[in-house]
Amino acid sequence: MTQWVLSGLAARVRTTRYPARQDQSPGVSPGFPVGRALADGDRGAVVERCPTGALTRRDRRIWVDPRRCVHCYRCARGDDALEWQQGYEWAAVATSRPAGEERTPPLSSAFARSLHVRVVDAGDCGACLHEVKQLANPYYNAHRLGFFFTPTPRHADILIVVGPGTDQMRTALEKAYTALPTPRRVIAVGACALSGSVFGPSFACSDGVRSIIPVDIEVPGGPPPPFAILHALLVATGRAQPAGWAAGTQWAARPGPAAEESGA
Amino acid sequence: MIEAVGIGAFFLLCALGALLALLSPQRRNPAVLAVTGAAAAIALSIAAADALFTGQSYLADLWSLPWGGTLRLGLDRISGLFLLIAGIIHLATSIFSGGYLRRYLGHYSLRSFSVLYHSLFASIGAVLLARDALSFLLTWEMMSIASALLVMYEHRREENVRAGYLMLAMGEAGTLAVVIALLLLGNAAGSLDFHAMRASGPALGSGARWAIFLLSLFGFGVKAGLVPFNSWLPRAHPVAPANVSALLSGVILNLGIYGIVRVNVDILPASLVGAGVVALIVGAVSAFVGILYATTDNDAKGMLAHSSIENMGIIVVGLGAGFVFTAAGRPALAGMAFVAALYHLTNHSVYKALLFLGAGTVDYRAGTRDLDRLGGLIRTMPWTALYFLVGSLSIAAMYPFSGFASEWLTLQVLLRSVELTSTAVKLVYAFTGVVLALTAALAVTCFVKAFAMGFLGMCRSREAEQATEAPRSMLAPMGALAALCIVLGVIPTFVIPTLSGALASVGDGRATEALVPAFFSSSPDHSALPAAFVSDFHDLGAETGESFIPGRGLVVLHRGGPDNPVIFAMSTSYGVVVLVILLGVLAGIVLWTTRRRRVTREAHWDGGVRQLFPEMTYTATGFSNPVRVVFDAILRPRTVEDTEETVAQHFRVAIRRAREPVYLVDRLFLDVLTAQLMRGARLLARMHRGKVNAYVAYVLGALIVFLILSVMV
Repeated sequence: MTQWVLSGLAARVRTTRYPARQDQSPGVSPGFPVGRALADGDRGAVVERCPTGALTRRDRRIWVDPRRCVHCYRCARGDDALEWQQGYEWAAVATSRPAGEERTPPLSSAFARSLHVRVVDAGDCGACLHEVKQLANPYYNAHRLGFFFTPTPRHADILIVVGPGTDQMRTALEKAYTALPTPRRVIAVGACALSGSVFGPSFACSDGVRSIIPVDIEVPGGPPPPFAILHALLVATGRAQPAGWAAGTQWAARPGPAAEESGA
Repeated sequence: MIEAVGIGAFFLLCALGALLALLSPQRRNPAVLAVTGAAAAIALSIAAADALFTGQSYLADLWSLPWGGTLRLGLDRISGLFLLIAGIIHLATSIFSGGYLRRYLGHYSLRSFSVLYHSLFASIGAVLLARDALSFLLTWEMMSIASALLVMYEHRREENVRAGYLMLAMGEAGTLAVVIALLLLGNAAGSLDFHAMRASGPALGSGARWAIFLLSLFGFGVKAGLVPFNSWLPRAHPVAPANVSALLSGVILNLGIYGIVRVNVDILPASLVGAGVVALIVGAVSAFVGILYATTDNDAKGMLAHSSIENMGIIVVGLGAGFVFTAAGRPALAGMAFVAALYHLTNHSVYKALLFLGAGTVDYRAGTRDLDRLGGLIRTMPWTALYFLVGSLSIAAMYPFSGFASEWLTLQVLLRSVELTSTAVKLVYAFTGVVLALTAALAVTCFVKAFAMGFLGMCRSREAEQATEAPRSMLAPMGALAALCIVLGVIPTFVIPTLSGALASVGDGRATEALVPAFFSSSPDHSALPAAFVSDFHDLGAETGESFIPGRGLVVLHRGGPDNPVIFAMSTSYGVVVLVILLGVLAGIVLWTTRRRRVTREAHWDGGVRQLFPEMTYTATGFSNPVRVVFDAILRPRTVEDTEETVAQHFRVAIRRAREPVYLVDRLFLDVLTAQLMRGARLLARMHRGKVNAYVAYVLGALIVFLILSVMV
């Protein structure tokens, strides 16, 4: 017991300084591929190597859809490899809300130091949920920022949804959303929650959470690192700027087969 | 005069009720019973109230027996109190029976019910009126037999008959003890008359006093359901029809207390500290055992029966404290203790009758008493739910309902042990106080369970879903009792002087002066109060309402010695006014601040399941399970089934584990007694082999022994 206390004191504070200071520790982020213009003679064969269809060719350019990328690094190898960008502040305000495409404003300052979060697993493989769970550990320590996890949506301001939204979880998700008191925000975490990824749409699940309930903030990645989820919570309370990918810098909607042909 | 007419009318109406019941057809019987029962109850109540409030006494010699003295009926204030309670409860149950008894139409004979009901009522009245040992015991027996027969009313169920016989057997054993106690008293007095016994009381030695005390405490304790002679009570009370259960708990248990009070307060005032200590311990243990089993019982009426044991325990604790204070020469404190006990007795009669009628209504309309199968009745039976809630709050001693004032007084009386000298007795007081505090906490748990599992949440059975509200004739008596619960809780300053007056023979009204000081300058005793004391309380508002409140000040307090003028003070009356104003202001603020709030109504959060089934919700068993686990060492249920079902000897597909509650008193007392009796019987049975030669030898042997004895003596 004494040893435990002493060794704890000797270890000193290990908690990250983010968001006051960017965390540069190695391995905190898997990174994202960056799209590029196709040079003459470059067929862009790297696009075929992408298993989730996150890469597309259009207008002599390779586009990256962060909603689908699962960081498999297949496009990071070989002669025609894409460049990869580090960082983790990926959370973007969704543009896909049904009513008029308007974006949700951040929550008022009343929530700045007290935000209660309910996590719903909507068919997750365990990866995203694992990353969400890391927020409670001493390194990320979300409590220092005033984010708390609660076991019931009745006490929550934020619903974090992981997983593609399977049919079995559709009712539960709808009920959880209904049970949230207003003002409320939904954060979809992970490629599956944003687009269905490799799972959906299919006979058993939808193409992402937004086809079940309105999504306010999107966190790409498969799974996203804990910092990206922390960033999303900061964005939800207006304490950080959202990433710009949703506005169209790197983003491209997944075109149908015909569009892909014409783009090629 | 009023007494004589009222009592005469009461007996005549009871006889008339029994007669009309025999003459009228079955389906008319409930209505006839309601009318004659209510009329008899009103007649009795008027006579009793007159005796209680004005102090008029009444004595009538019936007839003289050459060998047993004179049979006497009389009415004094303490009888008046018990008779008034009996009359009020009977009034409620009689009207309630008019609707309730219809459930038995075509199943059981309503005619015999009516006859038994009226004879029970008459014998209860006669027990309380009896003024000599002989008529007391005769009417006591009538009452025992009539109540046992009413418990066995649904005689086609075996458990009812068993419960009735157990009740009768244990009751008779108790009566035997009472007979011996009364004979000891009568022997000293040379007469069976209570008055003569009282006159010769001071001459008794301490051995006789101990014998009389123990015999009367345990003899009457059987009727009052005190540990360890109460295993009949949790069996008999639930199986009786609800109106009879209400009478059993609300009136007949009181008769046990009446017996103890009559013998140990009136006839032979306690002079032994040890006797009071015995009563304190018996009361505390009864209270704890009662509430423990009430909390873990899922039968709505069974739970109420166990809770009756608890309340009787609290009352006996009050009496025990009174005995100790009497013996220690502190009549004012003794008066307070007796007032606390009688106050609790009054409250208990009212709320327990209310709760039994409520449970009976639920049983009648929803078809079950199992709390695990009820639920959601507040939507279909809103009035029953409201009345049951009032009863539950009262029994859980919630401010300002009726149980609060009396339990608070009982605990305060126990704290007065500082004025005693013996450390051992103080320790017993402390132990009793701790047990009562635990009991009070468990009582809240118990009645949260009863109300929540019965009336809130989802219906857990189809019968509960299809329940409908009871007819008005059943709701009205419950509503009246609920109103009485609130009134008794709000005006302790009017109840205490009445009760103290009923105890005038022992307390000399000193309890009133100690508890309800005459703050109003118009009160006759006002000048006796110290001026500084009055001015202190004047600043606190104790004289508020002087011009329009007809009675003493609305503050209950007790003054100790001169160094410490006020030891405790409390006022539920003013408290209620403040509470109502505060709640009103609070409600106003909330309504004002949220007047523009938009409210959307959605389904409750159910964990996101597709559909919430009643099986998924909290049950009574689940709610009380923590208590069951904590007190497992005391409860020790019997495991009746513990099996596993496996496929291919490895994969468990079912685990069955069933545990059956065993009553503590049975385990420690009744079962042991039965086992010893059976052993004795088996030993005796060895003599009886059925051979004629052996019996001839026994006769011969006995003859020789007697011849030798007669020669020797």
